Amino acid sequence: MTADSTSSSPALPSKALPAKAQRTLFQRIFEPKDIKSLSPARLVLTYTILIFWSFVVLFPLYWLLVTSFKLPIHVSGGPVYLPFIDFEPSSHAWSYIFFDLGNDTFRPYLNSLIIAFASTVLAVLFGSMAAYALTRITYRPKIMSIAAFILILAAVVISTIAAGIPWQIGLAVGAALFVLFLLTLAKRFKRSLGNNDILFWIISQRILPPVVAVLPIYVMFQQVGLLDTHLALIIVYMAVNLPIVVWLMRDFFATIPIDLEESAELDGASRLRIFLTIVMPLAKPGLAATFLLVLILSWNEYLLALFLSTADAQTMPLLVAAQNATRGPQWWYMSVLIVIMILPVIAMTALLQRFITRGLLIGAVKG
Amino acid sequence: MQVSLRDIRKSFGAIEVVKGLDLDVGDGEFLVLLGPSGCGKTTALRMIAGLETASAGRIYLGEQDVTDVLPKYRDIAMVFQSYALYPHMTVEDNIGYPLYLRKVDKQERAQAIREVAGKVDLTDYLDRYPRQLSGGQRQRVALARAMIRRPSLFLMDEPLSNLDAKLRGHMRTELKHLQNELGVTTIYVTHDQIEAMTLAHRVAIMKAGELQQLAPPREIYNDPANLFVAGFIGSPPMNFIEGEIAGGGFRAEGAALSCPGFSDHGKVVAGVRAEDLRVVEPNAGELQGTTYAIELTGNETLVTCQVGESLVIVKMDKDYDEKIGTAVGIALANEQVFFFDAESGTRLRPNNT
Repeated sequence: MTADSTSSSPALPSKALPAKAQRTLFQRIFEPKDIKSLSPARLVLTYTILIFWSFVVLFPLYWLLVTSFKLPIHVSGGPVYLPFIDFEPSSHAWSYIFFDLGNDTFRPYLNSLIIAFASTVLAVLFGSMAAYALTRITYRPKIMSIAAFILILAAVVISTIAAGIPWQIGLAVGAALFVLFLLTLAKRFKRSLGNNDILFWIISQRILPPVVAVLPIYVMFQQVGLLDTHLALIIVYMAVNLPIVVWLMRDFFATIPIDLEESAELDGASRLRIFLTIVMPLAKPGLAATFLLVLILSWNEYLLALFLSTADAQTMPLLVAAQNATRGPQWWYMSVLIVIMILPVIAMTALLQRFITRGLLIGAVKG
Repeated sequence: MQVSLRDIRKSFGAIEVVKGLDLDVGDGEFLVLLGPSGCGKTTALRMIAGLETASAGRIYLGEQDVTDVLPKYRDIAMVFQSYALYPHMTVEDNIGYPLYLRKVDKQERAQAIREVAGKVDLTDYLDRYPRQLSGGQRQRVALARAMIRRPSLFLMDEPLSNLDAKLRGHMRTELKHLQNELGVTTIYVTHDQIEAMTLAHRVAIMKAGELQQLAPPREIYNDPANLFVAGFIGSPPMNFIEGEIAGGGFRAEGAALSCPGFSDHGKVVAGVRAEDLRVVEPNAGELQGTTYAIELTGNETLVTCQVGESLVIVKMDKDYDEKIGTAVGIALANEQVFFFDAESGTRLRPNNT
């Protein structure tokens, strides 16, 4: 790819020079080479580096698997590496997790599956709709309308809390005032925001560390009585992951030629149908990648789960952390839990990988 | 279906790209919107399709005012310059998509797809994907998709411009044949005058958002409304000589033409086509000049002569040859000379007609 695109770069006046000489040293070093055409020395070097790096990547996984079969004595007695050679593997940790803990393992596991998948599906669905709207529709929210909304909302909150006005009345008056503002004064203000401002606002939700927001969120869910429920975690995970989905999907949607959608529109498709039958299938690679990323983020999330769940909605990361309890870190139990925790993610990755391909748009436009 | 545009305008910000277009397209007519790039022809087409909203003016399809109607309710099919095929669908699904949206049942749909695919020679490619097709085949898929539901109006936005020259000639013939066979009103946008001349029943020439002339191709060629149209249509382009009309004659350096019936006029431009001129002996003929270049194109020879400040191209037969720099005279083969006001470009006509 790189070699092709560089050699066909704008024709320079030095046309007599061979294509190779026109590329910079940097480009020549990093252009991809066919592995078969490498000299033996470079082949050995390449494979050495690759094997070393594979080792770096895979060793923690190996260590995890091995540790899950160790007795406490093997862990505290100093590192042992190879089962059957260094130490006699034992399934004590596995039987403890699956039989002694039993439902106390399966419940968080099921919780994690429900919460992670539900929040991811919702985040990807709503997030990609928002991203699509932001790539295809121009929004012009007026600054003064936003300011008026915030002011009126603040006034309603203050009047209900401080002056003791019933909140239904406060809300009705506030809504009426806001509509009145939109119909009258709002016309006189011209300054407005654009799509990029909206996008920035969306991503700005991720600027604060979650620990700042977690207490207010806790209080909110306490008020509505949703603490320690699946719904609470699904809602929160969906909300925190929406900005990521919007930002990733927007780039994918931007690459889809607008001609396709205009053509479908003339063929008689409604906006929703265009989105579902034209845009979404073409955004599959992006959807798959985004889905995986968001799934992993929700699956591994710890802090929000720690605050919002206690028993019924407890998730796997909490259970893993709980193994580091009064008796000190129980590495063998943790390893078992982490091994079974990794499996669904690996399965999803294997399942979705075939969608993450390039070149889906070939043949759409141009002859 | 008749199409009428009433003073439609389109502005993008402060720039007005279509400046009050009035157009009536008859039922079954093949109308070509022709003009240089940026003249607003594509914007006009997109407004008819409903992909752009008109800033002002009304658009009628038949009796119905569709100015504020969504594209999908206008019963229009459009062929895009980029073809806009759905890359994740097979040729069959691409062609059948408009029927699928109309919930036509499967069997009927397959039947219709076969029929229309046969018309454009795609029967063997129905289960392929667009990426597996050549440019010409993709173009035909786009055409088939537009034809399958018998719309009341075809819109085509430079549909042939991505094809190579040979294929373009072939598809032009096919298009003309299909349009005639289907009898569907067609509006076709192009910047290629050959396409316009060969395909159109009538050509609408646009420049800078304004309609210059609307007439059948022959009339556009034989009776251009202004300097722009005269210069835009014809290959080689019409010869222009600047001069003035005084006392019933046109005078310019190296040129003297009689123009009975024209009143005196300051700066004028005389236009005459290459095929209406002949190279003759020096001092004979209406124009005097020297040969500047001689090009044999196969079945004819183009002789470029310097007359005063301007270059005049004369079409001679293929046996003509002469040294470059020879003094020659140029005679008018017939009286086909057009006069235009040099400033406004408007056509000047004799007083008695």
